[in-house]
Amino acid sequence: MAVSVAAKARDVVGQNVHKVDGPALVCGKPLFTLDMDVPGALVGKILHSPHAHAMIEAIDTSAAEAIPGVACILHFGNVPRIPHTTAGQGWPEPSPYDTVLFDRKVRYVGDRVAAVAATSEEAADEALRKIRVEYKVLPAVLSVDEALAPGAPVIHDEPDAEGIYDAQRNIAAAVDIPVGDVDRALAESPVTAEATCEIPYLQHTPIEPHCVIAYFDEDGRLVIRTSTQVPFHVRRIVARVLALPMSRIRVVKPRIGGGFGAKQEIILEPVAGALALRTGRPVRIAYTREEEFVASRTRHPMRVTVKLGAGRDGTLRAIDMEALSNTGAYGTHSLTVLSNVGSKTLPLYNKARHLRFHGKAVYTNLPVAGAYRGYGATQGYFALEVAMDILAEKLGLDPLELRQRNHIRVGETSPIFEKIGEGREGKAQIVRSCALPECLRIGAERIGWKRNRGRRRREGPWAYGVGMACAMQGSGITGIDMGAATIVMNEDGSFRLLVGATDLGTGSDTVLAQIAAEALGVSVDKVLVYSSDTDFTPFDVGAYASSTTYVSGLAVLKAAEDVRRQILDVAAAALEEAPEDLELSQGAVRSVRSGRAVTLADVGHRATYVVDQHQIAATASCVAPESPPPFAAFFCEVAVDTETGLVRVERFVAVADCGVAIHPKQAEGQLEGAVVQGIGHALYEEMLFSGRGRCVNPSFFDYKIPSALDVPEVEAILVPSEEPTGPFGAKSIAEVGINGPLPAISNAIYDAVGIRLTRAPFTPERVLSALRSRTG
Amino acid sequence: MRLTGVRRFHWARDVEEALSLLDAYHGRGALLAGGVDLGRSARTDLEGLIDIMGIGLSYVREEDGRLRIGTTTTLTEILEHPAARRYLHGALVEVLCRVAVPPLRNMATLGGAVVSAHPWADIPTALVALGAEARWEGEREEHALVEELYRQPFRAVFRRAVLTEIALPPWNGAFAFEKLSRSAGDIALLNAACGVGIQDGKIAWARVAVGATPARAERLTWLEEALQGEAPSDTLWRQVQEEVERRAKVGDDRRASAAWRRSVAGVVVRRAVARAAERAAR
Ligand SMILES: Cc1cc2nc3c(=O)[nH]c(=O)nc-3n(C[C@H](O)[C@H](O)[C@H](O)COP(=O)(O)OP(=O)(O)OC[C@H]3O[C@@H](n4cnc5c(N)ncnc54)[C@H](O)[C@@H]3O)c2cc1C
Repeated sequence: MAVSVAAKARDVVGQNVHKVDGPALVCGKPLFTLDMDVPGALVGKILHSPHAHAMIEAIDTSAAEAIPGVACILHFGNVPRIPHTTAGQGWPEPSPYDTVLFDRKVRYVGDRVAAVAATSEEAADEALRKIRVEYKVLPAVLSVDEALAPGAPVIHDEPDAEGIYDAQRNIAAAVDIPVGDVDRALAESPVTAEATCEIPYLQHTPIEPHCVIAYFDEDGRLVIRTSTQVPFHVRRIVARVLALPMSRIRVVKPRIGGGFGAKQEIILEPVAGALALRTGRPVRIAYTREEEFVASRTRHPMRVTVKLGAGRDGTLRAIDMEALSNTGAYGTHSLTVLSNVGSKTLPLYNKARHLRFHGKAVYTNLPVAGAYRGYGATQGYFALEVAMDILAEKLGLDPLELRQRNHIRVGETSPIFEKIGEGREGKAQIVRSCALPECLRIGAERIGWKRNRGRRRREGPWAYGVGMACAMQGSGITGIDMGAATIVMNEDGSFRLLVGATDLGTGSDTVLAQIAAEALGVSVDKVLVYSSDTDFTPFDVGAYASSTTYVSGLAVLKAAEDVRRQILDVAAAALEEAPEDLELSQGAVRSVRSGRAVTLADVGHRATYVVDQHQIAATASCVAPESPPPFAAFFCEVAVDTETGLVRVERFVAVADCGVAIHPKQAEGQLEGAVVQGIGHALYEEMLFSGRGRCVNPSFFDYKIPSALDVPEVEAILVPSEEPTGPFGAKSIAEVGINGPLPAISNAIYDAVGIRLTRAPFTPERVLSALRSRTG
Repeated sequence: MRLTGVRRFHWARDVEEALSLLDAYHGRGALLAGGVDLGRSARTDLEGLIDIMGIGLSYVREEDGRLRIGTTTTLTEILEHPAARRYLHGALVEVLCRVAVPPLRNMATLGGAVVSAHPWADIPTALVALGAEARWEGEREEHALVEELYRQPFRAVFRRAVLTEIALPPWNGAFAFEKLSRSAGDIALLNAACGVGIQDGKIAWARVAVGATPARAERLTWLEEALQGEAPSDTLWRQVQEEVERRAKVGDDRRASAAWRRSVAGVVVRRAVARAAERAAR
């Protein structure tokens, strides 16, 4: 579906308008989930498993229940067992139903054993201490290799799980997609290159940990106010888990303090709901930072191997990509993240005709991996782009040129688009917009690629080098994701924009308001955005898969165009002219014939009170017609202390094509933020585990993310293209930026000192040991 | 939840009041300075907190070439004080601006750092190298070199005493500080503070302390002695590096292995000594 784009200059789209939520945020207004007090709310807390793998032999809550103020304790013995997935995804759900609210078996240190509701934090804490649990400890599986070894303990041996690929072998999901004959093409390629890259356990670290308040409204309906990216999926899954009719549940999403994918999970909502149901009282639960690390979600740790075959001229002939993904104790997002490793990477180099993507997502007795910005593509690009660097060297070709020869272009396609979708087959599509050539040119220029590459500049012990990488992502999930928007005109000529889309800090409320404002010929302050509430806003799958601007944006545009038609009809009657002769802009409808005009306030007033009274309003929905990829080129300069192994990123240039940036500043912010997060992945971040599977660094004291003091000069540059299927030419920007830093930094280290870092993070210790083993 | 047992909070007006309050709690009270460490403490036995930020110990003074710093002075206050900035041509500033991040430095006090004495911390390393002296008041007034203090069960001392002042002596020479950490705000994977005095082109004295090994800082007296009388040269620095790498006492923790610490200990000491010598020769 192509949406017509008005050819005239745009008043609102492309402008850096004030964020619609800016003033409230700056003034510290109560916006967030826990900023609201519900009188009489109980404090909910969770008892986490101290064992990586164990059966609960017995649980005795009598001492805990005797504590004054303790209202309720839930555990496997008193809660119905309903297998489900915690992944907030579309329907049918692609993740296995391998989770129940409370199980007899615990599968990782941090797994849910029981939940307590009490009148105070202290009482709840004391209750947690006094719940006596007898465990029979089982042998634990703490790596994918152990999990796949013959005779390994089976993590999901429960009979009622559904949708697990091979539970007996601990395989949650598996994919094998061949195109052509990759083995033969590799064997026959004159030049080949291979890289295996590994990413450890990484946490999203949103400022606001998971939190929720569940209470009953005056009609006895369960209201769940929660920090979520997916309010409508929360409603669906909570209804399933609590066996309530969906109509008895209302989910309210206030402002979110960051998510990065961690809040595309339904973790605390059913627990809070169950406690509220059992006690009849409001219940609030908030994770601590430590719980956020061990008991929310993480990125899927992964080992990805890429084999490339090319002709001597540098044209790729074959790409074989194999991914071994660690999904942790439960398989949420296991199949779809795995699929994305290939589906979001392989199309980038569509000159290769022979492709194979294969892999497994494996259960271990470690924390649960889930959705995380990049969603597998980040893991795939690490290996792909390091392999490209190796290939360039073997070919004696500039890595930049190797990319230029092989990347996809406008009008081209890749069989992968059709072969790999979201847990099922995808949909064929051609690339209609791609400014990657410009991105590469500008990025190379900004970093001084020709000047700095291969120079091995030294300053004392510091060695300098530059590296690069490319990446793409998608914009929503084709044919699956639906977003809807309602626009209601007020009698003063302002509008209410109701969207199910969830702004998790990305600025989507502002972007959607801009799209509506542009189409309705008003300034953004005339569009009052409300997101999202399952009682009041139309359906939207939520904020994930880089979908909001594209999918929800298209829905907003459609609704706005409908409302605009209705406005023109009212104005036509008022002006006694034909709607075709009318133009809507700057808050007024003008006749191009007579020059006469009515303001939008006149139109609103007339429709509401005067003649032919009716509500001007429209609801429109959009199912992602395609998933146009945004593209990006990444260039960086690093300095390596050759005596200690310390790596400093000196400069980072990220150049992206997100189509038309609706709000350029916010888009740049997304790109810049992703780069910073990527630098964290490359240099600092890694969850570490004891020999018994306990995370030993679940705090910011030990688990480091880059602070303002660490961030180098980051240039985030947007190169516009016009995506014909997108709202006002837009595609996504939220995720693509996280895919480049790991390989670009690894490649830059190679340029500086000639060692390949393939295991993130590139700690001083790993770098020094690689330097030493090279020099022998 | 931290410090769940605390029932009372006191603002002491002077050292004496702080001491008598401390005494009254029989070990179940604690002095609260910036609270950076105490706020993270898992102690549940504490019943009373005694805020000492108002007991008149926030000052920086220069006296007879010595730099005297009251223990409740925050790291930011020290960093901004002209006398502290002047001290040894900025040697103290060089250390403190690598401690944690600005918001924490706004709260953290020098006294808290000395008493907490985290083995990974930078301040103890610097104070040991600089020959800093600590003064405290308990049953009586006492003083000792920070280095000596750390050889005693000093934590027990400060359950009943207020650390009042840290005094840094003048040195005819220069110091340099090196810290290896992952991110800028991170604690050290290894650190070193070194001082050198030069006379007639030769090293007249040397002070070398290495910390976060991962144990608390210790002086390498064997190196200090060996350096005396030597003329600074690249060859000498290379020898320093090799000897430290050979003899340094280092261990493993989850942040870094002993093997890595060993190879970089020589590097950081060499860098610090060489930089100190260069400064001293100016
Ligand atoms: C995240 C983080 C990063 C850090 N990074 C670094 C770093 O990079 N380098 C570094 O060197 N240090 C670092 N530190 C340590 C930091 O310097 C100390 O935690 C801080 O200085 C403690 O001071 P405070 O005033 O907050 O102490 P408090 O927390 O108030 O007190 C700490 C302890 O000392 C006692 N105490 C305090 N003052 C006195 C006194 N006058 N007399 C007797 N007892 C007293 C208290 O009772 C308590 O037991 C870091 C700490 C944190 C939390």
